[in-house]
Amino acid sequence: MSDIGLIAHLMRRAGFGASRGEVEAYAAQGYEATVEWLLHPGDPGDFGEDLAKRRAIGFDEGGAAFELWMVRMIHSNNPLEEKMALFLHGLFPVIYMSQGRALLNQLDSFRRHAFGSFRDLLVALSSDPAMLLFLNNNDNHADAMNENYGRELVELFSMGVGNYTERDVKECARAFTGWTLGNADYMAVRAGKNSFDPYGSIAWHYEYRPDDHDTGVKTFLGETGDFDGEDICDIIARQPASARFICTRLFQFFAADTVDAGGRRTIDEMVETYYSSGYEIRSVLRTLFNSDYFKSEQARYARVKGPVELVINAVRMTGASPNPAAGSAGANGATGPMGQAVYRPPSVEGWHEGKEWIESGALMERVNFVAKLFRDPSKQGVRDIIDRIASSNGGVYSPEETVDLCLDLIGPVRASEETRAHLVEFASVGGDVDLRGDDRGKSEVRVGEILALITATPEYQFA
Amino acid sequence: MFSLEYVKTIGGGRKIRPYDIAFSADGKYYVLNHATGFGAGRFTVCNFDEDIIVELPDNAGDGTFAQPVAIAFDRDERMFVLDEAKHRVTILDKNAEFLGEWGANGSGDGELDRPSALRFDRNDDCYVADQMNHRVQKFTKDGEYLLQWGSFGDGEGQFNMPWGLNLDSHDCVYVADWRNDRIQKFTPDGEFLAAFGESGRGDGQFDRPSCVVVDDEGYVYVGDWGNERVQVLDPDGGFVAKLHGQATLSVWASRFIDSNPDEKRTREASNLYPDLPHELSSPFHVSSQTEPHFFGITSLHVDDQDRLYVVDSRRQRFQIYQKRR
Repeated sequence: MSDIGLIAHLMRRAGFGASRGEVEAYAAQGYEATVEWLLHPGDPGDFGEDLAKRRAIGFDEGGAAFELWMVRMIHSNNPLEEKMALFLHGLFPVIYMSQGRALLNQLDSFRRHAFGSFRDLLVALSSDPAMLLFLNNNDNHADAMNENYGRELVELFSMGVGNYTERDVKECARAFTGWTLGNADYMAVRAGKNSFDPYGSIAWHYEYRPDDHDTGVKTFLGETGDFDGEDICDIIARQPASARFICTRLFQFFAADTVDAGGRRTIDEMVETYYSSGYEIRSVLRTLFNSDYFKSEQARYARVKGPVELVINAVRMTGASPNPAAGSAGANGATGPMGQAVYRPPSVEGWHEGKEWIESGALMERVNFVAKLFRDPSKQGVRDIIDRIASSNGGVYSPEETVDLCLDLIGPVRASEETRAHLVEFASVGGDVDLRGDDRGKSEVRVGEILALITATPEYQFA
Repeated sequence: MFSLEYVKTIGGGRKIRPYDIAFSADGKYYVLNHATGFGAGRFTVCNFDEDIIVELPDNAGDGTFAQPVAIAFDRDERMFVLDEAKHRVTILDKNAEFLGEWGANGSGDGELDRPSALRFDRNDDCYVADQMNHRVQKFTKDGEYLLQWGSFGDGEGQFNMPWGLNLDSHDCVYVADWRNDRIQKFTPDGEFLAAFGESGRGDGQFDRPSCVVVDDEGYVYVGDWGNERVQVLDPDGGFVAKLHGQATLSVWASRFIDSNPDEKRTREASNLYPDLPHELSSPFHVSSQTEPHFFGITSLHVDDQDRLYVVDSRRQRFQIYQKRR
């Protein structure tokens, strides 16, 4: 059996956390087998989408669309698939523009391409209606170029500044002329006016218009030819800067906010895999998750939980959303005040992650949301923790024992001596915890309070 | 030979947001709007020529409706409105003045849990699809409980979250057995007679049927909600025809478009029946992209002139088809 702490670490990073029972099951099958299971998503399960659609005609519009995604993150059988969708949303952010359906369709596209070739992912991104409209490629015509998408593709979505010239940007944009939406002008007018008339929203789809494509010869990153958008993605995917870009971003999202010497070596290994696998993201992730760095003690708790990760983790762990029809237990509304409203990134650069998540005034929001869930012994996940404590050693526990059990079962969370001392001091009020007989109800409340206090510790803010 | 010809579309242009409709004796349409605002009251009274006769207030007696899902007239032309979220029936006159109410949440005899359809028989008793109790209940129009049948399951006479129901000219009851993907037919007392359909996208198959209506020849029209189409079955349940919708601009929709020249110009240059990529080939995606198609069918009706009315609520309209004998 693999180490419980290591599997819990993997599930926090490659998913949204797992209950102790789930962690034990994964541990029984072994670490590498769990990695392979994560990398090969199967049937995601039933999210009650038919019921959501029956109960609300606008079930996929506005905030309801994001509620659907939150429900899916909570209940999906494919945690890494949803985590990758979240990663790609942050990497290729678009801001909500009048149509929730377009964003849900974009998420489906991310899921389809999350484990395939980076080149294919860029092609899918470049033909995604929400992205095309967000970055104005519908205005990129053979006789009137708009370089907005072309610039962001090379600057923010692949190689980064310093790896291309202004001419490359223009040539890139030329190659994407004719990549647009169906009925682009009508859809753009409606989106601009947030119009739902005369008969409700018309969802967007991609359309290639050969009559609006610049067929001339282009020179891009030193290569010359009659390039179209797919050729550009081919060239970008070959670039060392692109390999390092995607591998570094994956490392920072899944392994550590800060890249140290060990991290750089791991990224080097990921880059090697990137090329040997034909740019396959699944293979790159396999290299990352199986790396010594990722599995090391050093990597644990080296990332600040993003608001969506924090909230979904808490809802999953506590069982606050017992089935999809029950909704996301407030998850959708909670992440915005913490600084991460999905599809409302601050800019096309996405969110600034890492310690910025907790250095703002959002810390109190984080603590309040999570503590409220863990304080409630009626939540199934909290009940499971209490039942495990009750059955672990006779049912009566000193404050120290109670704190250690809670730290273990809620994570495990690795608390500093100072943090542990504060927790024990808190737990000592009221003496031993007795989970037998008549006093059990009061003691369950005390365990809930200790769990809630753990969620307020600095250590709990890290994944 | 059976055929249905498209006649016209009523709705759009922010005038109505229909979920169900009822016909008054003088031929007016009483449209129950699932949402108010954006130009729509709770009830819109209009006619075939798309004249809006009156907007009626959102009067549920003790306030406003929460989630009204069905409207039907009794013989006295009192308007019965079923509220799924309030688990009750509200009775209004034709000016939406409150006359009474009945129904309470629960699972006992006569109690309701998210009821989703209400229709009258020839004796002026009414049948209610009791969604979360997975049953059908029959009441007098004053709310006196008469009988019930059904329980959760997929056997004959069982239901999984029934949605719509309707009666034929013999008062046999047809139920859209939503999560069982079938239509069930019963005697007026609830004796099982037949079940039509199974899960799927093929002819005679259903994906979460929402509503059903039967004409005077016994043809059964099914709102095949998940497949975004109407299917027509013969009296024995055999497949006859299917419709995907072909809405055109209503008078109200035309007025909206004419008053927004930028939308008019770009719309006229658009293809409203687009070719879609493989990943958008499901019925839901096709309807979400194809404005003339049905999208979210919540109610079907036939009138005494052999017209079929299809309420596709997500597109804020209903489409009318003429049956040819």
